[in-house]
Amino acid sequence: MSSRRPPWLLQRRFITTNTHTKPTSNPTHNPKWCVKQVSKSNFSETLENIKDQILKSDYIAVSLKKTGSHSAPWHRTLPIDTAQTAYLKAKYAAERFQLFQFAVCPFSIRDSKLIAYPYNFHLFPRDGLKLGMPCYSFMCQSSYLTSMANEGFDFNACINDGISYLSRAQELIARNRRGNPVISNLEQSSSPHSVADSLFLGRIQSRVKSWLKACKESKTGSEDALIRSLRKLMVGSEEYGSRPCLRIDVCSERHVQLALEVLKEFADDVVPMVIRAKGGGIQAVQVVLTSSKEDKDIFEEQQCKEEDQNKLVRGFREVIDLISASQKPLVAQNSLNDFTIIHSKFLGPLPPSMDEFRTSLHLAVPHVLDISHLMDEISPLKKLNSVSAATSYMKRRFFAPIDAEIPQKVEADESKSHGYDVLRISQLFAKICSVLKISSETDKHSSSALKGYANIFNPYSASSDNHMEEDVRLSTDHPQKISTENIVFVWGFTLGTSAKMLRNQLLTSSEVLSDEFDVRILDKSCAVIAFSKPDSSTKFLEAMESGGNNCDSLSNLISEGLRAADYETYKRVCSLGLWEVKLADSLDKALETDFDGHTEDSQKESTEVYWRNSDLINLDEL
Amino acid sequence: MRKHMRMLMRRPVSQTLTLIERSFCSSTTTSFGIKNVTKSNFDAALLDLRQHIRAADFVAIDLEMTGITSAPWREAFELDRFDIRYLKLKDSANKFAVVQLGVCPFRWDPNVSAFLAHPHNFYVFPRQELSISGTSCEFMCQTASLEFLAKYQFDFNACINEGISYMSRGQEEEARRLFTSLYDDVFLDSHPSSKDIKDKPISRVADVLFTERMKSKISDWKNGLLQVRNRDHECQGSRKESFQQFENIFYLMRPAVKLHGFTSRQLRLIQLVTKNHFDDLAYIRVSGEGTSLQQLLVYTDSTTDKDLLMKEVKGILLKETELKIKNAVGLRHVIDLLSSEKKLVVGHNCFLDIAHLYSKFIAPLPATGEDYISSIAKHFPYIIDTKLLLNNNNVFQVIKQKRSTSLAKAFAFLCPDIVSGVKTSGSAYKPCIKVEVQVDDTRSSNWNSGAKHEAGYDAFMTGCVFAQACSHLGIKFESQVPSPSLALEEKLQGCINTLYLSWINGEIIDLTTGKRIVESSGSSDRKYHHSKIFFSNIVLLWGFPSKLKAAEIKECICKVFGQSSVASIYHLDETAVFVKFSKAELVTDFLHLKATLEKNNDPISVLHPLSKILDGGCTCAANYEVYKEICESPISEMLFADQAATIGIKWKTKLFVPKQKESHRETLGPEDGQFTGSTSPSEKEIKKLVSVLDGLSSGRTSNRLADSLHLAQAQIGR
Repeated sequence: MSSRRPPWLLQRRFITTNTHTKPTSNPTHNPKWCVKQVSKSNFSETLENIKDQILKSDYIAVSLKKTGSHSAPWHRTLPIDTAQTAYLKAKYAAERFQLFQFAVCPFSIRDSKLIAYPYNFHLFPRDGLKLGMPCYSFMCQSSYLTSMANEGFDFNACINDGISYLSRAQELIARNRRGNPVISNLEQSSSPHSVADSLFLGRIQSRVKSWLKACKESKTGSEDALIRSLRKLMVGSEEYGSRPCLRIDVCSERHVQLALEVLKEFADDVVPMVIRAKGGGIQAVQVVLTSSKEDKDIFEEQQCKEEDQNKLVRGFREVIDLISASQKPLVAQNSLNDFTIIHSKFLGPLPPSMDEFRTSLHLAVPHVLDISHLMDEISPLKKLNSVSAATSYMKRRFFAPIDAEIPQKVEADESKSHGYDVLRISQLFAKICSVLKISSETDKHSSSALKGYANIFNPYSASSDNHMEEDVRLSTDHPQKISTENIVFVWGFTLGTSAKMLRNQLLTSSEVLSDEFDVRILDKSCAVIAFSKPDSSTKFLEAMESGGNNCDSLSNLISEGLRAADYETYKRVCSLGLWEVKLADSLDKALETDFDGHTEDSQKESTEVYWRNSDLINLDEL
Repeated sequence: MRKHMRMLMRRPVSQTLTLIERSFCSSTTTSFGIKNVTKSNFDAALLDLRQHIRAADFVAIDLEMTGITSAPWREAFELDRFDIRYLKLKDSANKFAVVQLGVCPFRWDPNVSAFLAHPHNFYVFPRQELSISGTSCEFMCQTASLEFLAKYQFDFNACINEGISYMSRGQEEEARRLFTSLYDDVFLDSHPSSKDIKDKPISRVADVLFTERMKSKISDWKNGLLQVRNRDHECQGSRKESFQQFENIFYLMRPAVKLHGFTSRQLRLIQLVTKNHFDDLAYIRVSGEGTSLQQLLVYTDSTTDKDLLMKEVKGILLKETELKIKNAVGLRHVIDLLSSEKKLVVGHNCFLDIAHLYSKFIAPLPATGEDYISSIAKHFPYIIDTKLLLNNNNVFQVIKQKRSTSLAKAFAFLCPDIVSGVKTSGSAYKPCIKVEVQVDDTRSSNWNSGAKHEAGYDAFMTGCVFAQACSHLGIKFESQVPSPSLALEEKLQGCINTLYLSWINGEIIDLTTGKRIVESSGSSDRKYHHSKIFFSNIVLLWGFPSKLKAAEIKECICKVFGQSSVASIYHLDETAVFVKFSKAELVTDFLHLKATLEKNNDPISVLHPLSKILDGGCTCAANYEVYKEICESPISEMLFADQAATIGIKWKTKLFVPKQKESHRETLGPEDGQFTGSTSPSEKEIKKLVSVLDGLSSGRTSNRLADSLHLAQAQIGR
């Protein structure tokens, strides 16, 4: 970047990228591994390449570099989080922080050989339309920026030459004409039709046929105005500009594909267009009837021009749309954090609950495979949170040689190589597949073996869509499960009290606590007590409420500031967004606000969290 | 605010300036680089700067930040009351980071009859060198601001890689406390009387085995040591290999081993072994490479020698701590210097800059604006704003009429010699004050780097403008030898310690008295100056249908309350407006009417003219006080309506009782469906209340009665 600057400006950038201390080359990365770096200048050419590769590959690995994650120790997902609270935490982070790098790697696995096409996109939320979009402001954590800088990331290039984007929802606002359709150029997948698919196909086909017939008839005969409007009502015909059109309502990307497949048949007369819903999903397919071949060409050209304009506006989201349209399974590490970000930046605002998020994401990306969950399968007792930890674990335990092949050529510019994580994820995934004997060749991405691992977002519980099944399997070899009803939060103890000290204090202070219970420190200000008997938590809370229940030492503790709250309060903290630095402050605030609303929907979700001994919260790490 | 202004106003000028610069660049202007200061050369630069500041007549400053406003509705508006203005300022200073600090001391050099300027450009990055609390250091970036900086070739890499960090006074104290307790811990541990470790018996088999092994290893080492003293060095080679985790070194002239690759538990066991079995060995921790502590076993000859060693170690640790803290204080040294030297600080439209300096380097901004204003003087006793200086003196009327008082324009107009680098005879005023620039050892009488929006250069421009302005005001620098404080100069007294609160409506604050005045001169082009704003006349309305325009809202309200009822409507953003009524009573009437309409959702209220505003059912309204409540929140949602929802406003209309300010008795308007609960009173009662309320709004009931009614209503509402 700086080398292209006129010389008189060079003096300001007196520290250019060239003088950076180079990151010591990572021993794990193979020198032939080259990740193609993509920025504004080479984005459009890359788009063409990646399109083919996405279509041809079996899986797509993604990895993101953000400007920050959690602002306080308790803001990250803890073992005591339910799916909903974990989601709310991820949502909070996703909405505040920004993406600077998005690495995408379409890959296939053939005979223990990994064929990968890694790309690393540099993003910056440039406000191209001067609308305060895609984002007016964002948060940065200096530690994240510093570590990116240590890897030699060029922030000047990022801000000057990063690719901008708009989410699907923002694009709608930007166009200011809601429901403006887009000519569909979605690629069609070759996956076989299910029974439901065939039914849908048949229905669409007959509907389009009768509509076309009606249109052609009405052209010839001069009709009464009433009859014409009645006919319109019956057939569901509308007008797009001066041309008649038909709306086909759809509920998923799959439907869109099917509808487009049907419409191929009528390709001589009609132009299919896709209408986006406000939330970012696809709402309908609009079929526009053109009067002749020439008319069709004119219409398409007109739409193409508009489309080019829109392409500029969409920017990087084009890649997300390609991925979404391909319906290929995505492989990620820490999928909850990554996909909340993807949803909020490229699809639309995040919904308030985990279930809605799951549904909304599912429409765009049907299969998300989380490396950490697959690792759980291999090492159920040891939580391997990072790609490197998991890779070295695999290396130690299993012999699963994977050859990596990267067909594309990249000018080897050492200073610009970022985004290796995505390759590591692909490679790790290939290894896991070979260890778990999941073959991707025979039954492609619809592989039933992998389906069980798809779309699990809570990092601490493996409950996917089919709760029951998972629970049974887990209860045998997973650590003790605890109902959230048996969890009590306590805070207001002396700073620096250890879990053991606190437990002893509590044990001596109340007869309620004579039962088996466990204490963990969550952050410096707050601890959790897990009771093993179902009603002890209520008894304890009652004792706290009554000011010690005639027990001197407990009332002593209370008078020193000890407070307690149940799990519902914690849920309320998360749903009200009381993200104070100290959990104790947040809980205090939540107790001040009156009970309402939110309790209803929170009751529905599963109330079990996992209390694992291996998940000791390491305060040094925080 | 200021930066936005610059973005709007300075762009065209900067282009013309660049042309001028280029044409003269090659021939006359010496263009050596500005003094850039980063982590690597900070200590040396600070040493020089210390002298320059001490000798300076005044110091010009400028800051570059990562943003100005965290949400569009947090921008400065005309209808901002002082407390609101302060909340917005505080929000901005708290959220955004300073990425560049420009400091330029100016000294009058009588030998050459010119000012000597030392422009410094500090790259700043809040990296939290000492992690005190577990919280991460985070700041906000405004996308537009980053783009703006990037456009002017701001070097973000330098900033992030090499930027100087800092620690505020509060953080420094906390760090000191933390270190003291940490070192106390270290010394207590190594003291033989420490009971903490002895209490825990070694129970695990692995621990016992490890302890035994370590015991033999350590005694081997010790014996070897004694043997070496007596005999030869033969066996050392082989010992090295067997003790891979033990590295032989000398520490403070004593033989010692460095412990490598042990877990903290193992280290603890080794410590225990040493304590229990080896009286002549001292287990100490010293700071090693990076941030980690290095564990050592040191051999001492005797107990006295051991005590001596401990004393020495403690001394070293304390020294190291002091150095660490001094380094972590970083950039604050510069600000402390400005403050302790009580220099005249010159800035251009610097209200926000001062707030940033205060919040980053001195203390968190106080809760109220009054507290803040009164505490500025303690740290910066003399501040001058060149923008205000130019605007408030009739001498500069020409500038004001012809051009704006933005920094680049004022600089171009007042200091053409510096801009072009040649002597021009046709200056608008008297001949220019000469300014020579010194960077390190290079000195030039016609220096111009031309790098606008670089804090160091902006500070330089500000200083030049100030020097020139002083000269025009008739201040003689020649006669002031040895230079007394410029700050006491009589001709500047009108401007010293006064700052623009808001450039939009020209509100000025006097920092010494805390008085706020609206700028007297130059207000002809601003419409709302002479009419004082009555904040009790204002209703805040948000969440209305998104396509509604200000004119339509006005029309709707005027239909109900009369043509002259609404003075004006201001958009905060697309989701919220201020409705300024002509009378304060209308505010109450409007809020009551709105509450009533929402309550009886009958056909008549649907046909009511206000229903256009209430359409959608999300329209909320409240008086001005609620605006303050919303601004106080640390959250910044992009849209005002979202902000209100996020901070937990669930009511739709907030009714309030006028003339009861002292008690702040406010009643909540009934929500939809609130009366359906089991505790709700009968329909009849409500209707009665509503009718009374309606009567109230048409002015038939006395205020006293109204008060009691609101109370009653509030109780029923609950």
